[in-house]
Amino acid sequence: MKAILRVVEYDFTNFFRYRWFIVGLITMNLADLFISAIVFTQMTNIVNYFRFFAPGLAVVGLFASAFMIGREINMEVRREIHHYLLSLPMTRTQLAIGRVLAGGLRGMLYMTPLLMTNFIVLRFPNPSQLLLILLTLLLLAIGISGVSISIAVSTTSFEKFVTARGVVYYMFFFCSSVFYPLSIIQVLATRGLGPLVTFAQINPLTNGSDLIRSFLLDSPEYAFSPVMILDVAIFSLIFASLAIFAYSRILQRH
Amino acid sequence: MFIQYKFLLIMRGIWFVAQVALFGLVVNRMVQEAATEVGISYFQYYVAGVTIITLYSTAMFIGYDIFEEAEHGVFEYLLTLPVSRRELVLGRSIGGGLRSFIYVGPLLVVVLLILGVSNPLYLLVALAAMFLFAFGVSGMSITLAVAMKSGDKYDILIGVLDALIVRLSTTMYPTVYMERALPAYATIANFNPLTYAADLFRWGTGVEGTLQFSPLTGVLGLFIFFFAFTFIGVVFYERRLEGGSWQ
Repeated sequence: MKAILRVVEYDFTNFFRYRWFIVGLITMNLADLFISAIVFTQMTNIVNYFRFFAPGLAVVGLFASAFMIGREINMEVRREIHHYLLSLPMTRTQLAIGRVLAGGLRGMLYMTPLLMTNFIVLRFPNPSQLLLILLTLLLLAIGISGVSISIAVSTTSFEKFVTARGVVYYMFFFCSSVFYPLSIIQVLATRGLGPLVTFAQINPLTNGSDLIRSFLLDSPEYAFSPVMILDVAIFSLIFASLAIFAYSRILQRH
Repeated sequence: MFIQYKFLLIMRGIWFVAQVALFGLVVNRMVQEAATEVGISYFQYYVAGVTIITLYSTAMFIGYDIFEEAEHGVFEYLLTLPVSRRELVLGRSIGGGLRSFIYVGPLLVVVLLILGVSNPLYLLVALAAMFLFAFGVSGMSITLAVAMKSGDKYDILIGVLDALIVRLSTTMYPTVYMERALPAYATIANFNPLTYAADLFRWGTGVEGTLQFSPLTGVLGLFIFFFAFTFIGVVFYERRLEGGSWQ
């Protein structure tokens, strides 16, 4: 346990070294909320888009910051820093668990101000709702960190990592209820894109953002269901395990 | 060199499809009333916009090449070639623009099949303007990469720039709604090269019958953008190329 905590500490120190990257991410998130969301609010009367999008933004921020760990690991692999990490007095599994956890926790830390913005512009949840929101988002962040690490150790160049990151971002974002209600996505089924609708329904980003909406929007359209947490937990378990396996096995081949 | 990135090209293609087939279709449904109000099909409007976003992001990619070359020591080899620094950067800028056009070519054919062409002459003017745009973006990418000399900082800056330059343009929504949201957004969009390229492309394909500016103004705006960044790129490249300190 101590070894894992050391790895988490190492990654947190690195996180604050990338403060400009965080500034960049915040700028992108704020541009989404205060430019795109405001313009789309003028264009649609299906929902109050600004209020609808605010919870989605917290999930977008969480996704992008939890994904940052992959960027660092990819850089370590390319610059062969991982040899140093592998020489540390801890098992490969401890190292891998520490990195997946650190990625998730960093995502939570970054997302906190965005979630607070939600509480301010929408409403404050009660303590049990807050606990459920934080638990679900932590599971989501660990799963995303797992996806990111799995990609990072499987790509040998920065371009490939950047491109794969872009594709994963857009698949998870666009095929989810982060940007638009699930009821509108369902129209894709009539155009022969049924599998995408299914993906959107099981997408952890959909469940994460709809869970926040269910507590903060007071709308019957977004009712809380325990399946939301189950969905995110399964995603987290699969990708955290995959990342731990990939990190501790593939890394030794480089 | 670009063709070597088969993996990248395939992934970018998937990204384009995701933008069109997911975001475009779904948001089209969400903003149907608004699109009817301004007399456009949002799906067509967005498809044209995302073509310009793809052209922009592909042309920006040359910056990553520069860092890859610096990391692998290819830069030193390039400096030994019997060409001047000026020729080198001009060649790279034009090459960056051309290769992004080659990459967008097949997507452009698909887009033209979706949008149709109302006037071939207008389309030719629009394509010429898009060439200028691609060369300009490529020059901007080289300028930023050489000015930063750090792959990390460049990646961050590109992300921020992408967030602002794309959202404060007419690639995703018409100016009239930006004006309603905040007049300052529309003002900035009016000076954005992505706005000129996207609107000229829509005009060329007939998605938009009339432009808020004359086609000549649009082409002139893109020419100034191309000229400025290509030549700033030359100056930066010449001054900062040597001396190492690449991160």
